[in-house]
Amino acid sequence: QLVSALHNLTRHVVYRGLIRAEDILCLFPENFHQNLKNLLTKIILENVSTWRNEAQASQISLPRLVDLDWRVDIKTSSDSIARMAVPTCLLQLKIQEDAALCGNNPVVSALTVELSKETLDTMLEGLGRIRDQLSAVANK
Amino acid sequence: AADKIRLIPQDFLAELCEQIIQHLNRKIPGINTAELCQRIQTSGVDINIGDLAKIANTLSFLFSTAARNNLSTEELVTTLGSGVSTLPKHAVQVIRHVWNEQGKAIAVSEDAGNMATVGQFVDMKWKLGVAMSSDTCRSLKYPYVTVTLTVADPSGQITDKSFEMTIPQFKNFFRQFKEMASVLETV
Repeated sequence: QLVSALHNLTRHVVYRGLIRAEDILCLFPENFHQNLKNLLTKIILENVSTWRNEAQASQISLPRLVDLDWRVDIKTSSDSIARMAVPTCLLQLKIQEDAALCGNNPVVSALTVELSKETLDTMLEGLGRIRDQLSAVANK
Repeated sequence: AADKIRLIPQDFLAELCEQIIQHLNRKIPGINTAELCQRIQTSGVDINIGDLAKIANTLSFLFSTAARNNLSTEELVTTLGSGVSTLPKHAVQVIRHVWNEQGKAIAVSEDAGNMATVGQFVDMKWKLGVAMSSDTCRSLKYPYVTVTLTVADPSGQITDKSFEMTIPQFKNFFRQFKEMASVLETV
């Protein structure tokens, strides 16, 4: 019962985003033991931002990008063409499925993709636009 | 797969064959199996995407082998008949018709593009969002970038892969791509 009550208290603090001691202190009932109340508040305050970050990291979401590896190759020949010099890009994305669904065994899948110079430029353009949007939002 | 092919209505089968031939001709980046499967299912036919993918692969192999060996329509139908005796008549008709119209046009391509051992990147769609609130945090204000990559796998089938990135991850993502682009320039 004690653990459950503490759990509810901390979840409430994180949910409401309480960061000031006074807000947490007034959650306790009036005749609560003074020193215990201060000690609990102090401990909660120390941990609240860690808990908040954890809550953000484990909220429901689409699969997350966990790693990105790439390599640039030059194709020099094939069974149909004896000599050529075509640069091409190989990209490997490691994507982890929603952590909440997988529990302790997150499923990571790898997606390997080839890009030519043209497709890479198109992609860069798209990414540049995201970056511009981000700066526009950040300045608001 | 031959018995599943009899489930597909004639006009959908024709569309599938045409997409396969256009893909072999490098006119389209891949075959939209998922979208086609959904439309077939909506028309009332009970077929799953795995079966449709197998059928697409088989037909693709059939057409590309026929192109490499320069088979005429009659030769193709004869080979079909001897190999796969259980193909329904309407399927043979469709294959014969599509090959007749468009098969000869499959260029045994000189282009370096396609030693396709990995997926080919087709398209990228993105979204910038802010998670305002969740069941654990009433006031989140957590920005994130969602990206959907459309990829044609080595057999030509198109799939989508979606994922999320935090803002620092996105900045790193962008930086990696700029590096790749500059290496491609100088190579």
